[in-house]
Amino acid sequence: MIRVRGLRKEYPGGTLALERVDLDIAAGEFVALIGPSGAGKSSLLRCVNGLVEPTAGGVEVDGQPVTGATGETLRRIRARIGFVFQQFHLLKRLSVLENALIGRLTHVPHARSLVGWFPAADIAKARATLARVGLGGLGDRRADTLSGGQQQRVAIARALLQEPRVLLADEPMASLDPALASTVMELLESINREDGITVVTSLHVLELARAYGRRVIGLRDGRVVYDGPPEQLSAAAAARIFSGVGQ
Amino acid sequence: MTRGGRWAGWAAIVGLFLWSASATELSLYRVVEGVPFMLDFLRRMVPPDFSVMGNALTGAMQTLQIAVVGTGVSALLALPLSFAAARNVAPPWLFYGSRSVLNVFRAVDTLVYALFFVAAVGLGPFPGVLAVVAYTATVLAKLYSEAIEAIDPGPVEAVAAAGATALQVLRWGVLPQLVPQFLSFTLYRFETNIRAAAILGFVGAGGIGFYIQTYLRMLNYPAASAVLLVLVALVMLVDFASSRIRARLV
Repeated sequence: MIRVRGLRKEYPGGTLALERVDLDIAAGEFVALIGPSGAGKSSLLRCVNGLVEPTAGGVEVDGQPVTGATGETLRRIRARIGFVFQQFHLLKRLSVLENALIGRLTHVPHARSLVGWFPAADIAKARATLARVGLGGLGDRRADTLSGGQQQRVAIARALLQEPRVLLADEPMASLDPALASTVMELLESINREDGITVVTSLHVLELARAYGRRVIGLRDGRVVYDGPPEQLSAAAAARIFSGVGQ
Repeated sequence: MTRGGRWAGWAAIVGLFLWSASATELSLYRVVEGVPFMLDFLRRMVPPDFSVMGNALTGAMQTLQIAVVGTGVSALLALPLSFAAARNVAPPWLFYGSRSVLNVFRAVDTLVYALFFVAAVGLGPFPGVLAVVAYTATVLAKLYSEAIEAIDPGPVEAVAAAGATALQVLRWGVLPQLVPQFLSFTLYRFETNIRAAAILGFVGAGGIGFYIQTYLRMLNYPAASAVLLVLVALVMLVDFASSRIRARLV
């Protein structure tokens, strides 16, 4: 489903975010991406949906090259990749329902999407998805009146409404209360299990990766230093990923 | 800043003030001396002569109309200008160019533009509208462009990440962040324009100011005070309504 080959990303100013990353993620996998901040987790996820253009190497999603794709081609690829951000990135002044409907933009007639006249079927779908993520009845509230945990679930509903093949989540729990982290994690897990959507989520907490990930990829200084099941993530391997961090 | 430097700064400010005070003949004595004349002026204004209410209302209506049309046209012109003057949207040459043009136009007040447009297109409310536009369009463009520069790129990126077209990104990622602010700025300038349009009549550019000036010249103080009361009522009404709406926007 996701093929990463020789990926390298160097930002202007010389910061090296990714170096020789090769990965294959099969359809239906649930992958936890771990590593200290600055390890390249965000850059990797952003290369997968084309928000960041790599310096070298490339990414394919579902057999289609993302790297180098532009315009209509890139939009078609992105439509099939849901992306959940650490800071939710909702439109604060819009309603919860309108925020969710942004996930339907590629499914509804273009002109109607521009005037905000969404087909009834899409609105029904958006309301059903909001109910599924536990926000039934909150559709007409302004997005910024919701709690952080609720806002992140709106963002997940927005991504789900794209009907994606892949869901990428960039530290979706980092801005939340630890108690809420597990509910968001369980939501991602159920999306993976029930809808068969491939989920790749970066995490800053090792315990969450151990508890939920079926495959853990450890990044350190832009390189993959661990790739395997969480059970085999030994203390030594964890140390290799996180050593020297926070000193 | 050093201690000495700070003292020098304060001394310069005080010096500037004293120099200006003496040049402008600042004098408490002359204010006190003028009190009886002020009281006499006020006494002549009461009771207001409400028989001129018809004229007062006609003038007030025209002032309101000048402000409405002037602000409306300004908002339309300011839209494209503001994008050209936003650092995060426009290329540097366009940004610096438009900012300079805006600063030049903003340096001159509405009343000065009114003098110019009365000479150019003749008396009446139309030069008043043009004067309001010349000043307000550039002020609004500046305010809009600052709102554009303060936009949160996160939601914009989120909409693009969902596979949206450029127009959809504009409609769903950018406009929801800008429209409430644009409306709020526009209403605020509308309030200010009511006051600006009220004195445009002094130079022949229409509105309630024409009646105030005419009655004062005719030494008909009761009539002038009736018109002034109507102006105060208009300003208060517009301020109240507009600030109520603005409070709901943000």
